[in-house]
Amino acid sequence: MKYEWRNLSADRTPLTITLLLGLALVYGGWNGWQWVSFQRATIAAALGEERERLAAVRTEIPKVEAGERKVSAFTDPRLPQALGRGPGARYVVMPPSALGALAVGQSDLYPYYFKVTTGSKQTFLNSDEIENPVHLLAGRFDLAFVLLYLFPLVILACSYNLISAEKEGGTLALALSQPIALPVLTMGKLLPRVGLVMVLAVLLPVVLVGLGGGGGAEVRLLLWVAVTVAYGSFWFALAVAVNAWGRSSPTNAMALAGLWLLFVVVIPAVLNVGVKAAYPVPSRVELIQATRVAGDAATRQGAQLLARYLEDHPEMAPAEKGGAPDFGTVQVAVSEATERAVQPVLDRFDAQVAGQQRMVDRFRFLSPAIVAQSAFNDLAGASADRYQHFLAQADEYHRQWRGYFVPRILKKVMLSAADIDELPTFRYREEELSEVAGRLGLALVGLSLPTLLVGFLGWRWLGRYPIAGA
Amino acid sequence: MLIASGLSKSYAGKVALHPLDLRIDPGEIFCLLGANGAGKTTTINLFLNFIAPSAGSATIGGLDVTREPLASKRLLAYIPEQVMLYKNLTGVENLEYFTSLAGGTHTAGELAGFLDEAGLARADAGKRVGEYSKGMRQKVGIAIAIAKGARALLLDEPTSGLDPKASNEFSALLQKLSGSGAAILMATHDLFRAKETGTRVGIMKHGHLMATYATSELGRSDLERIYLEHMHD
Repeated sequence: MKYEWRNLSADRTPLTITLLLGLALVYGGWNGWQWVSFQRATIAAALGEERERLAAVRTEIPKVEAGERKVSAFTDPRLPQALGRGPGARYVVMPPSALGALAVGQSDLYPYYFKVTTGSKQTFLNSDEIENPVHLLAGRFDLAFVLLYLFPLVILACSYNLISAEKEGGTLALALSQPIALPVLTMGKLLPRVGLVMVLAVLLPVVLVGLGGGGGAEVRLLLWVAVTVAYGSFWFALAVAVNAWGRSSPTNAMALAGLWLLFVVVIPAVLNVGVKAAYPVPSRVELIQATRVAGDAATRQGAQLLARYLEDHPEMAPAEKGGAPDFGTVQVAVSEATERAVQPVLDRFDAQVAGQQRMVDRFRFLSPAIVAQSAFNDLAGASADRYQHFLAQADEYHRQWRGYFVPRILKKVMLSAADIDELPTFRYREEELSEVAGRLGLALVGLSLPTLLVGFLGWRWLGRYPIAGA
Repeated sequence: MLIASGLSKSYAGKVALHPLDLRIDPGEIFCLLGANGAGKTTTINLFLNFIAPSAGSATIGGLDVTREPLASKRLLAYIPEQVMLYKNLTGVENLEYFTSLAGGTHTAGELAGFLDEAGLARADAGKRVGEYSKGMRQKVGIAIAIAKGARALLLDEPTSGLDPKASNEFSALLQKLSGSGAAILMATHDLFRAKETGTRVGIMKHGHLMATYATSELGRSDLERIYLEHMHD
C-alpha cells in the first residue's frame, strides 16, 4: 500500500485530476451555498414585509374605527374581504433544508414561498416568480452535479489502467510470480485510489455543511456520505470489471467512457424523453388560459353564483335579507367557481406528474446516476416529494385561511386590531426522517446491488485474466 | 523440484507444447534451447500458472501449480527477459515491495544485503529504477529470488541484451544460487551461456522437447552442431 501510494503520487495525472475534482466540489458547494443564502434572504425579506404590513394594519384599524382615517370599501382593513385579499395576507414558506447547499435539484424550478390570500389557489400558486431561463434549462452547477457527473469521470481516469498499465509496464508478471492472487493485488492497487478520491468527495460536503451550521442534520449527512460512497463504489467496481477483461489501457478508457456516457447521460436523457412522452404535462399557458376563461365566466355570472353558493351553504348566509350583494361576497363565489373550473386541469397536471414520478421510480435503477441524483435531492430537501409535501401544506393552509375569512365575509363581520393576531398562521412541517430514510434505503440498495454484481463479475473475470500473452 | 508430467498446451486446436516430461532436481540448471515459438516460454508460463495446461501437470516441490498456485509460488522466483520494476521507486523499494507481496518483511540492512549479494552496488540501490540499466534490473530480480529464499527459479531469456560482462556476472549468480540447492529452468537462445552455466540442456522445436544432454558430456562446439542439426526440418 505504501509503495502503491508512492507510485500513484509519482504519476501526476491522478493527483491533478483529483485536485480539479476538489476545486469543482468547492465551486459547486459555493454555488449551492449562494443559492441557499439567496433563498434565506428572500424568505427573510418576505416575512419582514409581512410583519411590517400586519403591524401597519394593527395601527390603522383603530384609526379607521375612530374616524381619523377615511377608507373605501375596497381598502377598509376591518372588512374581511379586503384584509384577506391584501393587507392581511400571509406567506407560506418552505425553508431550505440543512443540506440544501449540497444539491439545488429542482428547488430553483419551483417557488418556495407563496402569498396566501382568499383568492383562488391558482392566484398564489402561479403568481409572479421570475427566474433566469438559462438556469432553468441547464440546472445549477452544484455539489451534487459534480458528484454525479465529474466524480465518476475522475474515478475512471484514476483506475481505467489499474491492471492494464501493470501488464503493459511488465510489472504484473513479476508481481504475480509472487504468492499473491490477482484480486488481492488489484485491491491493493485500488485502495489508495479509493482513499484519494472518495475521501475528497466525502469530506468536502461534510465540511461545507459543518461551516453552514448544519446541526441536527447528522443523520442526513451520514446518509449523504453513504450514497456518495455507494455511488463511487459502483464506478470503482466498473473500472475493475473492465480492467479484468484483459484489454489494453486505451480500450479500457474507451469502454469506460462509453459506459459513463450510457449511465450518466444517455439513460437519464432517454428516460426523461420517455417520461415526457408517456405522461405529457399540460402547459402552464394552458393552465393560465383555463384560469382566465373560468375567472371571466365566473365574474360575468357573479350574483347568480353567489345565490347558488348560499343555497349550497345556507349557514353562511348573512343575517339580514335583501339588497344587492357587495363585491366581496360575490368575489367569494367567483373564486370558488374559478377554482372548481380549473381543478380538472390541475388534477390532470398532478396525475401526469405523479405518472412521471412513478415511471422514473420504476426505471431509475437502470442508471446509478439517476438513483444517486434522486437520493441527493431527497437528502438536500430538493426533491419532488418534499415539494409536494410543501404544496399539500400550502393547500391546507389556504383552506384554513379561507375557512377563517369566507364566513366573516358573508356574514359581513367587521374585524378589529386584536383579530390580526387570531389569523391562521403557517408553520412548515419538515418531512419525517423515516419517510426520507425509506426512500433512501431503497436508493442505497439500488446502488449497492449493481456494485456487488459488477464487483462479482470483475472478481470472476480476474480469475481468467490473461497474464501471459496478448 | 521442478517436474512436468505429460504437460501440454493447445490454443484453439494449435499445439504450443506437446506432452512434456521433465524433471529438474535441486542444484541443477536446465537450459531450454530453441527458436522463437518452440515452446520455451509456454513451458515457463505453465510452471508459473500464468496459463492453464491443456493436459498433464506441473509441480514445484511436489505442489501442483494449478491446484496450489500460491503455495507453489512461495517456492519459486521468476526472472523474465526484461525485469520490469517501478521506475519511480528505488532498487531497495522495489525489492521491499515485491518481497512484501510474498509475505516477507525485511529490515533495511537485510534488503541492502540481498542487493549486495545480487551484485548491485550500494550507491545504485538507493537510485530510482528509471535510471537503471537492464543488467541492474536483472540484479534486483535476482535479489528478489535471494530474499525469498526461492528453491526454484524460472528464467526466460534473462541474459538477452546484456553485455558480456553483465551476462557473465549473471551466470555466476545463477551458479551460486544453484550451488545453494535451487533448481533452475532457464529458456535461452545463448548456446554459449547454456553450455557454460547449465548442467543440462534441452532442445525444443515446434513444441516438442527433442533431446536433452548433460553439458559435462558436450565439447565446446558440440552444442552448436547438435542444435543446428535439430533446427533443420
